[in-house]
Amino acid sequence: MRYIFKFPDIGEGLDEGKIIEWYVEKGQSIQSGDALVKMETDKVVTDIPSPKSGVISARYGSIGDSIKVGSALVEIDIEGVEAKDAQDINQEEPAKAVTESVDEEGFGGVVGTIELAGDGAYLPAGDEGISSPNEPKARKKALATPVARAMAKDLGIDINQVVGTGPAGRVTKKDIESHRPPAPQRSVGSIETPRQRTEPLSQIRKTIAKNMLRSKQNTAHMAIMEEVEVSTLIEARSRLNEALKHDQIKLSYLPFIIQAIARALKKHPVLNAELDMENERIIYKDYINLGIAMDTDDGLVVPVIHDADKKSLTDLAHEIKSLADKARERKLTLDDLKDGTFSITSYGSIGGYFAVPVIAYPQVAIFGIGRIAQKPVVKDGEIVIGNIMPISMSVDHRIVDGAEVSRFVNDVLSYLKDPILLLA
Amino acid sequence: MTYDLIIIGSGPAGYVGAIKAGQRGLKTLVIDKKYIGGMCLNWGCIPTKSILESAKTYQKVLHAADFGVTGIKAEEIAFDWQQAVTRTRKIVAKLSRGIEFLWKKNGVEFLRAEAKIISPTQVEADKRVFETKNILIATGSRPAPRDDFPDALSLEDLYSLPVLPEKPLLVGRGANLVELAQFFQMIGKAPIILADDLPLMPALDASLEDFMLKKMSKAKIPLIPVIDAQIKDKSVSYKDKDYPFDMVINAGFRSAVLPQMEPQLKLEDGFIATDRRHMSSTDGIYAAGDVNGKGYLAHVASAQALEVIDSIMGVDLPDEERRYPLNIYTDPELAQIGMTEAQIKAQGIDYQVKQYSMSANGKALTEGSSEGFIRIIHETKYNQVLGVQMVSANATDLISEAGILMELEGSTYELARTIHAHPTVSEIYMDAGGMDG
Repeated sequence: MRYIFKFPDIGEGLDEGKIIEWYVEKGQSIQSGDALVKMETDKVVTDIPSPKSGVISARYGSIGDSIKVGSALVEIDIEGVEAKDAQDINQEEPAKAVTESVDEEGFGGVVGTIELAGDGAYLPAGDEGISSPNEPKARKKALATPVARAMAKDLGIDINQVVGTGPAGRVTKKDIESHRPPAPQRSVGSIETPRQRTEPLSQIRKTIAKNMLRSKQNTAHMAIMEEVEVSTLIEARSRLNEALKHDQIKLSYLPFIIQAIARALKKHPVLNAELDMENERIIYKDYINLGIAMDTDDGLVVPVIHDADKKSLTDLAHEIKSLADKARERKLTLDDLKDGTFSITSYGSIGGYFAVPVIAYPQVAIFGIGRIAQKPVVKDGEIVIGNIMPISMSVDHRIVDGAEVSRFVNDVLSYLKDPILLLA
Repeated sequence: MTYDLIIIGSGPAGYVGAIKAGQRGLKTLVIDKKYIGGMCLNWGCIPTKSILESAKTYQKVLHAADFGVTGIKAEEIAFDWQQAVTRTRKIVAKLSRGIEFLWKKNGVEFLRAEAKIISPTQVEADKRVFETKNILIATGSRPAPRDDFPDALSLEDLYSLPVLPEKPLLVGRGANLVELAQFFQMIGKAPIILADDLPLMPALDASLEDFMLKKMSKAKIPLIPVIDAQIKDKSVSYKDKDYPFDMVINAGFRSAVLPQMEPQLKLEDGFIATDRRHMSSTDGIYAAGDVNGKGYLAHVASAQALEVIDSIMGVDLPDEERRYPLNIYTDPELAQIGMTEAQIKAQGIDYQVKQYSMSANGKALTEGSSEGFIRIIHETKYNQVLGVQMVSANATDLISEAGILMELEGSTYELARTIHAHPTVSEIYMDAGGMDG
């Protein structure tokens, strides 16, 4: 039984990737989950795992080649599965392996969802498309004649964009011949004048644009801002850094904030949840995966610290550094980017006091940290110099009300004000 | 009372169109002056196939000993023409009842009478005038009468013959003529072909024509071009040789059978001129089947009639030319679909022919019918199949696989990839499809 595995839509609006390295050869046996190929997109370099066990019967593309999403990557001969058995498997487990990850693409999971061809993709013959009825996000595969398909491939036309005029909308040879591809991007912005210039959007910018818009269109944003006096935290951090100076790691404020938030989320699980409007329910997550917004030369990426509540300050510091390095070198993998449940942005590290950050939909909230500043504060009836950290938090009011958010913020701030509480 | 549609003629265009019209809820009346089913059912497709089957069975019995069936004395084997006709009549009656049943089921009315079109909305028959919104002329064709043989027997009359001629002279051109010649030859008669022109079967690929000419030559059926022949009273002279005959049968090209009509419809070479929707020059009057001269095959007539119903129902017809199989029920059968090699060449298409012999097919060998071949012609870029020609037992059925493939714009790759059962004659598609050259 031959199975055609196509370059999956890795859910960030990318439409192609570049082959960096092949891990498999024609004729090689592989197990489901084995890495097939290393692909580079605008944002990540990631290994694409095989959805099936079997023997590689064909490999498409050489190192350096760009592969369009939806184009065949490899063909796998599935061992011992005759056509009929394959059908049976398909019927028994229709939902299996449709989606590798459930995380939605977004601010927090820039590369969120990897969609694999479903188990419905056993192909007895032909290059007929892979599709699965349980794969709502996958593009509907065009119905097309074999010759039309071959022709579209040959001419580099995305057959899914072609309007079919055959029976039931089948794309025929004639349709391919008369198909006019959309004008190339460059000509779109042909409004060059001496005082302005145009530049096509990069993939990452397109993705960010799409995700931000989606968040604003799908959530009811509400913001809360607060200040917290962090002199104790500053002192604690500097003492810890002194103690850790031989460990080649320097704590920033971020690990403390992560711990504070992780603890507060445990008390306020609704902020670590997701609203499932379709089924009219809230999905509570038992894990706390914090997305950390990071600025790179290419744009914003939000790698995720998984199980942040289970990590020590130094673990967190190491992980943040490692993610930052990878982000800078564009070496983040899909695993680094997926499954975030709540996000943190420390915009203040560059500048800015209060802000209204955009929620990484479908997460419920994002916590922003502004620049720490010395300000006069009243302490014991006297005006003294205080160290003030401003925080700004955006939440989705659909799922949580202001009172609960205020309680959550109070909890976070209590930890930041008196970090010794984190030891409790 | 006004009909939605009156159909004149009940052949493959008329009866198929009527059933579809009934299914679509059109109030429909069919008028035919003779038998339900027209030429095809009563004298053409079905009866000729029936008597050919009798002839093939006769041949099979003659060679039964080769298959290990003994005890049959060759001198006692005979061909009983009357029994062959009786069997044919039974088949025709059964099919005719089938049509009547389907008409009844779909609310189609039938009137046996001669029809006359008075106007685009009026048809006169049986001394009555019927009002209608649409008229479909499906009156068919018959072999054109000949000046050189005014008394020649037409195909319709063949079945009323008590005794078959020993040396029939078959005049004309086309598939019917070839089938008929082979029929007479198979039952031990000595037919002579007087051909109006060559190729004998002009619509066929040259490979099929060549095969059949060789086959007939081997069977010693004289093929005489009419232009070089001298016709005397009861013999034909050709190249200083006399070929006596005892009957002339007209199997020539056909001319339209036109109903009586007041509206002056535009004709082309005696056939009713029609547009893509098969509408004549007068609005509301359609013509489908042989009578419009677009093709002389039952399945083409039926397809056209279905398009007429679609057209009446307001369905837009696709522009493309329809593809249909051409079948010749000889032994072995000939069949083709799509373009011939000559047509492909004329269009300047880069093509390749994948030809595979029946003699390499196990099932064909066991059936004792390993004579023949398949030719799959495809363009070389995507290997799209453009034409298929076949010679084999049951080629007329086997060709349907190529029909589906081509309807779906398939290539030789799909043929080669489709697992065909073994042993079957149809395997030849897979074998040929998988060939390199």
